[in-house]
Amino acid sequence: MNPILSFVVILIGIYGLAVSTNIIKSVFCVTIIEAGLILLFLNLGQYEGGLIPIMEALGIEIVDPIPQALMITTIVIGSTITSLALMISIKIFHITGSIEWKDFLKRK
Amino acid sequence: MPELALVLQMFLIIVAIAIVLHKSKFTIIILISAFSLIAATLYMMNQAPDVAIAEVAINAAIIPLIYVISISRQREFIVLDKIRHGFIDPNEKLTGEVYEALTAFTSKNNMKLNVCCDISGSEEVLTRDLNVDLILDKLPDSETYILKGRASNLLFARLKEDTKDIEHIKIELIEDGDALD
Amino acid sequence: MPLTKYILIILLGLVLAMFIVSFADYQEIYNNISRLFYETNGFLDTGSRNIVTAIYLDYRLFDSLFEAGILLVAVSGINWISQHGAEQENAHFMLDKFKTPELFITFSRLVYPIMLLFGIYIVLNGHNSPGGGFQGGAVIASALLILFYIDLKKSTNMRVIMTIEKWLFVSLVSISAISLLTRGVLFTNFIPLDADADLKSIYLIALNIIIGAKVALGLTAVFIAFLKEGR
Repeated sequence: MNPILSFVVILIGIYGLAVSTNIIKSVFCVTIIEAGLILLFLNLGQYEGGLIPIMEALGIEIVDPIPQALMITTIVIGSTITSLALMISIKIFHITGSIEWKDFLKRK
Repeated sequence: MPELALVLQMFLIIVAIAIVLHKSKFTIIILISAFSLIAATLYMMNQAPDVAIAEVAINAAIIPLIYVISISRQREFIVLDKIRHGFIDPNEKLTGEVYEALTAFTSKNNMKLNVCCDISGSEEVLTRDLNVDLILDKLPDSETYILKGRASNLLFARLKEDTKDIEHIKIELIEDGDALD
Repeated sequence: MPLTKYILIILLGLVLAMFIVSFADYQEIYNNISRLFYETNGFLDTGSRNIVTAIYLDYRLFDSLFEAGILLVAVSGINWISQHGAEQENAHFMLDKFKTPELFITFSRLVYPIMLLFGIYIVLNGHNSPGGGFQGGAVIASALLILFYIDLKKSTNMRVIMTIEKWLFVSLVSISAISLLTRGVLFTNFIPLDADADLKSIYLIALNIIIGAKVALGLTAVFIAFLKEGR
């Protein structure tokens, strides 16, 4: 049940990206896709009765620690890409005066 | 507690649909913070505390600040006024034909008007680097006002259409060089 | 047109159906070999109780080096895009026409030392409890941003922050490369393999501090570049 609901969040993000009208909404939808993806990966490594991956005593059963280490990197890089995209959109607004997609696709 | 996880995941889907379908940008920022907090709780229920701390600290505290700054910078229409030099009283209402036309134009497009008057520099530097949208000037012996702006500015094209039938206004364009191609 | 939106929804529904069909039996094909390896060997090899910290600081250090590099490149890019060539005294014309309320300023002065202390605690105890370099760096960055609310006209020097960040990246790469001399393998712990578990955690604390400082300075530099845009 849990991986299917995470995949629904990813699909909602893809739909929002295809229907958005200005630049800032597209950046919002990329954040939604990324949160759904991280939830999907963390669900695959978990099983019933596993504990958090901190060894308080030797010989306990832990959850798989590899997806968690990869997802920390994903979060940091996602926030970096968001801030870079917003800086470019501010510059576009100062030069041309609008941030809608349809104004750029029909010039010239 | 798998029932609590199921309820929280339905909340997540509802907040995601609300973000996609909303129209005003300031409410979407608060919804992004709520989305990130619910997602962090779900990460903790899948036995991953490191990922939960990283998600809260970055996506719910720093990214909404950056969104607020970038959205509020995109709402102002900056006008440089060369008629009165040195002093503008912020409480006094600006009268005159040109100012009323400008006020009507900016309130039609949901923007704020920002008038300032004490900058020096050539016009190239002003419009390209300091992001001034419009330069207002007046010929010394007649009643015509001169408005100058960049040629590639779409708001300026709309302003040209709106003030076509008002007299005493002449519009000049500054062509841009090879800026960012 | 509403017709294209309906076609889009139907296509996405088809993708969801394909996903449900192909994920019906993922529990049987998931094997446990790597999880058992980290359970038995994680603490004795690296000296840290937190296995996630051991993975991104000892077993897979190459990924963390490239992530630090991506942060450096992105911060330099943001700094370059937002620059302008006008003189500095002409660029102060945009007055902020609002004023933060007094309650907010007083509350920020109370909360700021507690946030800083909490962030430093998360960084230093990354190998024994949930935390580490990246998480603690983000919390310290949030604490430093509150200073901008207390004093609106605070001016910082961008060059000093970028220089410190470059030297931190160079020291990160060089500490990782010391292990070529003592162990013979590149990019891992430089204390030999049969030492005590307490000695090996010196390397983990040093790397966590460097990564935490780097992330905090990077996020603060991004915020300053956004505030300066158009001034």
